[in-house]
Amino acid sequence: MSLLTLDHVSRIYAMRRGWLGRASAVQAVEAVSLTVQPGRTLGVVGESGCGKSTTGRLALGLEVPDAGTVQFAGQAMPPPNSAAWRTLRARMQLVPQDPLGALDRRLSVARQIAEPLTIHGIGDAGERADRVAMLLQDVGLRADQAARYPHALSGGQRQRVVLARALATGPDLLVCDEPVSALDVSIQAQIVNLLVDLQAQRQIGMLFISHDLRVIRQISHDVAVMYLGRVIERGDPDAVFADPAHPYAQALVAAIPGGRGGRRAVLQGDPPNPADRPTGCAFHPRCPAAVSRCRAEVPVLKPRPGDGRLVACHVAQGESELGLAA
Amino acid sequence: MNHLVHPASQTSFVPTDPLVTIRDLTVAFHGTVALHGIDLHIRPGESLGLVGESGCGKSVTWLAALGLLPKSANVAGSVRLQGQELLHATGPVLDRVRGGRIAMIFQDPASSLNPVHRIGRQVAEAVRLHRGLSGAGARAEALRLLDQVGIPGARARMDAYPHEMSGGQNQRVMIAAALAGRPELLIADEPTTALDVTIQAQILDLLQQLRSDTGMALVLISHDLGVVADMCDRVCVMYAGRIVEEAAASGLFDAPAHPYTRGLLGALPALSGARQRLQAIPGRVPDPSSMPPGCAFAPRCERRIDACDAGLPPLDAITPGHLAACIRADRG
Repeated sequence: MSLLTLDHVSRIYAMRRGWLGRASAVQAVEAVSLTVQPGRTLGVVGESGCGKSTTGRLALGLEVPDAGTVQFAGQAMPPPNSAAWRTLRARMQLVPQDPLGALDRRLSVARQIAEPLTIHGIGDAGERADRVAMLLQDVGLRADQAARYPHALSGGQRQRVVLARALATGPDLLVCDEPVSALDVSIQAQIVNLLVDLQAQRQIGMLFISHDLRVIRQISHDVAVMYLGRVIERGDPDAVFADPAHPYAQALVAAIPGGRGGRRAVLQGDPPNPADRPTGCAFHPRCPAAVSRCRAEVPVLKPRPGDGRLVACHVAQGESELGLAA
Repeated sequence: MNHLVHPASQTSFVPTDPLVTIRDLTVAFHGTVALHGIDLHIRPGESLGLVGESGCGKSVTWLAALGLLPKSANVAGSVRLQGQELLHATGPVLDRVRGGRIAMIFQDPASSLNPVHRIGRQVAEAVRLHRGLSGAGARAEALRLLDQVGIPGARARMDAYPHEMSGGQNQRVMIAAALAGRPELLIADEPTTALDVTIQAQILDLLQQLRSDTGMALVLISHDLGVVADMCDRVCVMYAGRIVEEAAASGLFDAPAHPYTRGLLGALPALSGARQRLQAIPGRVPDPSSMPPGCAFAPRCERRIDACDAGLPPLDAITPGHLAACIRADRG
């Protein structure tokens, strides 16, 4: 059974343009379907505004979808702040990008890591102390660092504290939102290795959100590429990165610095405004392969003929002619 | 182990006299040494990459060279622009050089631009300062520059404010302003770090294009080895305030000699092939106030021997043109 299932989930925000402007709807996430299996990692990759962080918040039940359903371990996600949701939060935790912002500067490392145990009423004081000591060890911190405060730690150490706190309640699911993006490459490698080890030991399912394709490939068992609120390609990371099917995924892979691109085809234009979505395929104004059908009709994410790669693109599906049966 | 591809020698230049020569540059803040004697040169038209992690001194080097550090910084050594000493030069001398012969752009274009002035005016201001044009002439030149850096519909965008532009477009505006003085050297300090990867590719492409059009030299300061591999002819790797390796980009990425460089490349996830555990460098960068006695990297180094703690390893040639500051480096 899947640990986490998002089924055609959409999330719409109301946005006011200007001070007295009228409210307009911003489709942050549109008809996204994803699954996370126990002990496996789903990587979600895309650029600013593609909806990847909103997807993470929907997965944790922090936001309620306007359409579609979220299921955790076979059960519908309870409404946020309900008693059932609070109980469930012990089984699903968030690892955010900025550890300093996520930690309380006035609490020692040990108190922060113990906090979820207190909240969920796990163990007595003695057991909690033992658990904290064990967690510190698991994330590679020294026992004497338990008494430190966040400002006295390096960026990598702070991210280890955040991780220890997230692991305290023994969660089944971690939603990691750009957890290594603020770290230097040598420290980033330490944290990526740590996440891989912890997952192997504890069979944690992970939703790993990042803009960094190298990190996504390293850590994911399955990858979803998002563009302007939609998943446009999904599949095995090795296959998707070696031979991306969607023109946007192709551009993304070609743009990775130090890749095989050499002198590459550079994608023109800026990412569009989510409040001003192009018609049809949202990528068509920047797409070198776009045909008239792309302007008219939103492509559905479905298996491509041949290898069955999931891709939402009329051209990649070989259905670029208008009027062809989908 | 190397996951970076360097496009085969983009330019084959004949060695000429350096444009800028930095000798034994040291910087200390309140008695704490941040830069321990940097020797560096850049030739006309060359592109030089400076890579290293946070706090290694890659930005401080150029801020010090151009007199942009606060007065509390204690700067010593020599920075020469074709024979003219820049370190501790007078204001008028520096004003002619900065934004003129040497221009600099930074990571966050939005905070470098003035939010209350239209972008056309800001670029025209740079033109007025460095080219002596004024009024309509300055505006016309600003328009030409915005066009040159690929602002779509530049004439209409002259009247836009920075908040009306995307991050990538603001970086283009900054580059336009930097080009106003027709610089011989552009120093780009993490110019694409705040941008999305497809926009980063556009800006890097633009910088390459401008370099081939104008013949200006480029110093690219970056933490991203991939960016430097794509963009630079020659690379210096910095660690804890020193240059630890210097080589042609192809030599550095194909045959890294210093264990720190090897570590950085090993820590970078590959884009193809079997997935292997990342070779993380253990530990962290030393605190500038308590540096190790010998080689600053020794406490994290898998090749460390006792002799590494005895003294500073000199930056020596391993093969012609490939220097490494390591007594345990791979040689020849």
